[in-house]
Amino acid sequence: MYYVAKVNADMCAEYKCNTCTLYCPEANTLMFDKVGNTSWVDEDRCKGCALCVYVCTDMLSRNCITMEMVHGKED
Amino acid sequence: MSLKYVTPVAMFKKYLPKDYVELVDFGPFGKTQDEAGPGNMGQFKELMEEHPMCSGCWMAYYIRLIFASLPCPEETVTLGTAGCGRLAISQAAVPFIYGNYGDQNAMASGLSRAFRLRFPDKQKDVITIAGDGGTMDIGFSMTMHSWIRGERFTTIMLDNEVYGNTGGQESGMSPKGAVLKMAPGGKNFEKMPATALAKAAGCVYIVKMSPTNIKKAAKVIRRAIFVAREVGPTFIHAYTSCNIEYSIPTEEVFADARAQEKDRFQFEEYMTDAAKEVIDRIEAEEKAAHRAKKGIVAEEVN
Ligand SMILES: Cc1ncc(C[n+]2csc(CCOP(=O)(O)OP(=O)(O)O)c2C)c(N)n1
Ligand code: SF4
Ligand code: SF4
Ligand code: SF4
Ligand SMILES: [Mg+2]
Repeated sequence: MYYVAKVNADMCAEYKCNTCTLYCPEANTLMFDKVGNTSWVDEDRCKGCALCVYVCTDMLSRNCITMEMVHGKED
Repeated sequence: MSLKYVTPVAMFKKYLPKDYVELVDFGPFGKTQDEAGPGNMGQFKELMEEHPMCSGCWMAYYIRLIFASLPCPEETVTLGTAGCGRLAISQAAVPFIYGNYGDQNAMASGLSRAFRLRFPDKQKDVITIAGDGGTMDIGFSMTMHSWIRGERFTTIMLDNEVYGNTGGQESGMSPKGAVLKMAPGGKNFEKMPATALAKAAGCVYIVKMSPTNIKKAAKVIRRAIFVAREVGPTFIHAYTSCNIEYSIPTEEVFADARAQEKDRFQFEEYMTDAAKEVIDRIEAEEKAAHRAKKGIVAEEVN
C-alpha cells in the first residue's frame, strides 16, 4: 500500500498549464500529455511527496491533483 | 555522449531496456531547449532516471532541472562526490565522474584542461555538482584553488545546509543556531560566505539563489556554463533543502524554498565585464535563432 498523486484529467484539461510537471523531484514521472492537454502520473515512479499538490492547489488554486492510497500487486 | 554514440543498431533495439530506447528516440540529445528543455519537462524522455533520493527532495528537483538546462548534454561531463546529490546525478545519461570526497574541483581542473588539448575544435562542458560539505568543507581547498587558478568550468553547490547523506551533521554552510547532529545546542558559528569567497578567489560569474522560478534558474545554469567555456570559473550557490534533516513536511518543501528567497538565499548575481560580454552575445544569438525559427513556422502555416 502506498501513496501516489492522481491527476483529474478532465479538470486539468480546462487549463493550458503543465506547471506541476516541472516541479516533481522525480524525472519521467509526472508527465504531460500534449494531445489530451493534461498532466498524468506514472504511479510506479511517484514517491508520494505531494509537491505537485502544493503547485496545483496552493499556488494555482486549481485543485486538480489528489493524493490517493493504491495497492501494489503483492498486497 | 553523442546521439550517434547511443543509437543502437535497428535489429538490437528490441532487446534493449525500454528506458534506453526511449532516451534515444525521445531524449534531448541533439535537440534545442525549445524542443526538450526545462519548459517542457514531462514531454520528452529526460536524461535523469529513477533515483533513490528521498520523497519530495528539493535537491533532486534541482538536479532534474540542471540536466534539462544543459546547453549540450552530449558534450557534457559531470563530476561529483559523496553526498545525496550523487545518488541522482549518477542516474543520468551524461558521463559522471566520482572520486574521493571533495576532490571534484581538482579532477575537473585536469579534465577540462585535457579536453581543451584533446578536442581543440570541440566545446566540452565540465560541471562539478556537489553538496555544501563536499564543496565548502572537506573539498574547500580544492574548490578554492581551482577558482584561484582560474580553471574554466562550472561549480554548482547543492546547499542543503547540512550533511544530509550521513545523517544530518552540522556543516560550514549550516546557519548559526541550527540544531543538528553534532550541534545539539545549536550551531555556534556563522554560515560561510560562499559567494564572497568565490568573488575573492576570482570566479567571473557567481549566483546565489533559491531555485523556485524554473526559467530564471535555468537561465543561470546556462549562463554559468557559457561563461566558463570562454572566460573563467563560474559558481552557482543553490538552496536545495533537506526535508529529512530539517523536518520539513514534503508538501511544504516548495513554500520553504520560497521563504528562503527572502531570507538566506536572496537572489544575487555577479559577473565581470568579460562574462557579461559572453552572456549578451550568446543570449542575443539565441533570441535571433528563436525568432528565425518562429518566422519559418509562420511561413509554413501561411
Ligand atoms: C573522506 C571522506 N570522509 C567522510 C565521508 C563520509 N561522507 C559521505 S557524504 C558526507 C557529507 C555529505 O554532505 P554534503 O556534501 O553537504 O552532501 P549532502 O549529502 O548534504 O547532499 C560525508 C562526510 C566520505 N565519504 N569520505
Ligand atoms: S498544476 Fe494542476 S492544472 Fe496545472 S498541469 Fe498540473 S494538474 Fe494540471
Ligand atoms: S507526489 Fe511527488 S513524486 Fe508523485 S507526482 Fe507529485 S511531485 Fe511527483
Ligand atoms: S537526506 Fe535530505 S538531501 Fe538527502 S535525499 Fe533525503 S531529503 Fe534529500
Ligand atoms: Mg549538504
